[in-house]
Amino acid sequence: MLGGYISDLEKGDVFKPVEYVITAFMCSEYAHGTEETSELFHSARNRAGRQFRPPTMIHVDKMRILEANCDKERRIAGMKGPDARVHYEYHARHHSAAQVGEKVIVTGHIVDKYVKRGRPYLWYYLEVRTADGRLVTTYNDLTVLRYKTEGAQ
Amino acid sequence: MSGQPGFNVGDELVGPVRAITAQRIEWYDSAMLSAATNELRQVGSNIHTDPEFARSEGFPTANADGMIMTNWCSEMLLRTFGMDYLERGELRTKYIKPVNLGVHLHVRGRIREAMKQPSGSTLYTIDVWCEDEHGTKLVDGDAKVDVARG
Repeated sequence: MLGGYISDLEKGDVFKPVEYVITAFMCSEYAHGTEETSELFHSARNRAGRQFRPPTMIHVDKMRILEANCDKERRIAGMKGPDARVHYEYHARHHSAAQVGEKVIVTGHIVDKYVKRGRPYLWYYLEVRTADGRLVTTYNDLTVLRYKTEGAQ
Repeated sequence: MSGQPGFNVGDELVGPVRAITAQRIEWYDSAMLSAATNELRQVGSNIHTDPEFARSEGFPTANADGMIMTNWCSEMLLRTFGMDYLERGELRTKYIKPVNLGVHLHVRGRIREAMKQPSGSTLYTIDVWCEDEHGTKLVDGDAKVDVARG
C-alpha cells in the first residue's frame, strides 16, 4: 500500500515516479561521502570532459522514490518507521552514464514481499531514464524490513 | 578511457583497505541525505550512527551502511575498467554479515570469466567481496563489465 510506512508496501505496488535535474553538488557530495576521488564525479576537468553521476547514486534514487510514496516514513525529512530496516542486496546494471545537467526520471515497483527465517523482505525494482528516454540504470534491491526476529529482546 | 585490455581468469583486482570508523559512517549517511536534497545535510540517529539505537534493534553495536562497502567495490571496478564500468557495468553486493564499527575491511576482486563477444568486446565476470582482518567475508557479490577493447 502506497502512502503509509515502507513496511506497508505490497507486491505489485507501482511507485509514483520522481524526477530531478542532476547537479554538480549531488554528484560530488555523494562521491565525497564514500571517499571516491575520481575526478569523473567531482568536475568536468577529466578525460571525458563531463561530470558524471556516480552509478551507486541509484541508492539515493531509492530514498527519493520512497520519500514520495511512503508519507508516514519520510526518512529524508527525518521520520522513522516502527522498525529499523536493513539493506540486504544491491544489484545495479548500468546502461549509460548520466551527467550533470540532465533531468532523470525514476520509476519502480515492488516485485515481491516475503518472510524468510522469520524476517520480512521487500524486493524493489527501479529504473532511471533521462527525460528523453535513455535508459541509465536498472536496479533490484532487497531490504529486510525488520532485523529483530520474533521473540528477540 | 576504456579499461586495461587482457585480463586473465584468476587475476586479482586491488581494492581499498579501510577501517570502519564512526566518521566514515557519518560521511556516507550525511552525503546520501545531501545528494537527495541538493543541500548540505547532517544525518541523525539511526542503526549506523547510534550504538544504543542499534542495540535496541537487535545489533551488537552500530554498523556500517552496506552502501559504503558497495561504493568501495564500485571504486575498485572504476579504477580497473574506467568508463566501460560506468557505461556498461553491473554490480551486485549482498551484505551477508553486519560490518561493525572498528572492523578493518579489505575490498577484493578476482576475474571469474572472460567471454569474447561477437562485437569484439570482452565481457568480464568478476567476483567481488569485502573481508575483515581475519579473512571472514562480510560482503559478497559479483560484477560484469563489457570492455570495448578488451
